[in-house]
Amino acid sequence: MNTPRPAHRMLIVDDSTIIRQRIARLVNSPQLPHITIAGLAGNGAMAVELARENKPSLITMDLTMPLLDGEACIEQIIGFLPDTRILVVSALADKATALRAIKKGACGFLHKPFSDSELLESLLELMD
Amino acid sequence: MHVKLRPEDIEVFSEAITHFFITCTGETASVRSAFLIERDTPAVWNDFNGLIEISGDYTGSICFSAPRALLSHVLLKMGESVFTDDRHGDIVGEIANTLSGQARRHFGEGLGIAPPRVLDGAAKAFVARASSLPYAIPLRWHGYEAHLVVQLDSRE
Repeated sequence: MNTPRPAHRMLIVDDSTIIRQRIARLVNSPQLPHITIAGLAGNGAMAVELARENKPSLITMDLTMPLLDGEACIEQIIGFLPDTRILVVSALADKATALRAIKKGACGFLHKPFSDSELLESLLELMD
Repeated sequence: MHVKLRPEDIEVFSEAITHFFITCTGETASVRSAFLIERDTPAVWNDFNGLIEISGDYTGSICFSAPRALLSHVLLKMGESVFTDDRHGDIVGEIANTLSGQARRHFGEGLGIAPPRVLDGAAKAFVARASSLPYAIPLRWHGYEAHLVVQLDSRE
């Protein structure tokens, strides 16, 4: 028998409205009934603020953003929410960037461009 | 000293374009041979232009330039139902960002990438940041023409 998944609240961080909404559509679909959306942020500074207020258990995080980049954002959020699981969703495809994000506290890395099935798989892994 | 782009550097961008369209739309784009843009020809042709400024070990810019109709069609394929100027600007910047980010697999993290800026159709200012001439990589998707314009010098 499968163990039921715990409920999660997700913060979606990306400077592109299209990407934020694309991730939100999947999170709101029947394929991910265990996740609700805790907020949408278009830059790193807003992401830190929303993370403090809403305490999400999951975050999807872009890296190249105005005001505060994703790496600095991960570092700050992990400082006050150490158990939050962060999936980096970024176009930056070099290994060094992925390793640095993991070192700062991210749990996984999904490269842009991504298909809906790749995103779903990454979000399911993030919850495990 | 500035080092100019080699054919294998350009190929990286062509592969990134192919990968983007097949992944995000499920349909292939036909990428044609890159050509050099002369100084006196306008470097940006289309309705929407997403520009990434490059820093770090390189100088220059990467610009995705596309007509409104192509971008509307890509938005539709990505499940969008809003087709405002803002959304077209968002997607042209996101494509430029994605193609630039993919290129870091080849160039490494020394290819510094700024968040995308959307230029108006008449803008030509970005041509001045690198000393070499820009390359245009033409592509065709669903009958629409677009270009990726790459102007990059290495600081080696």
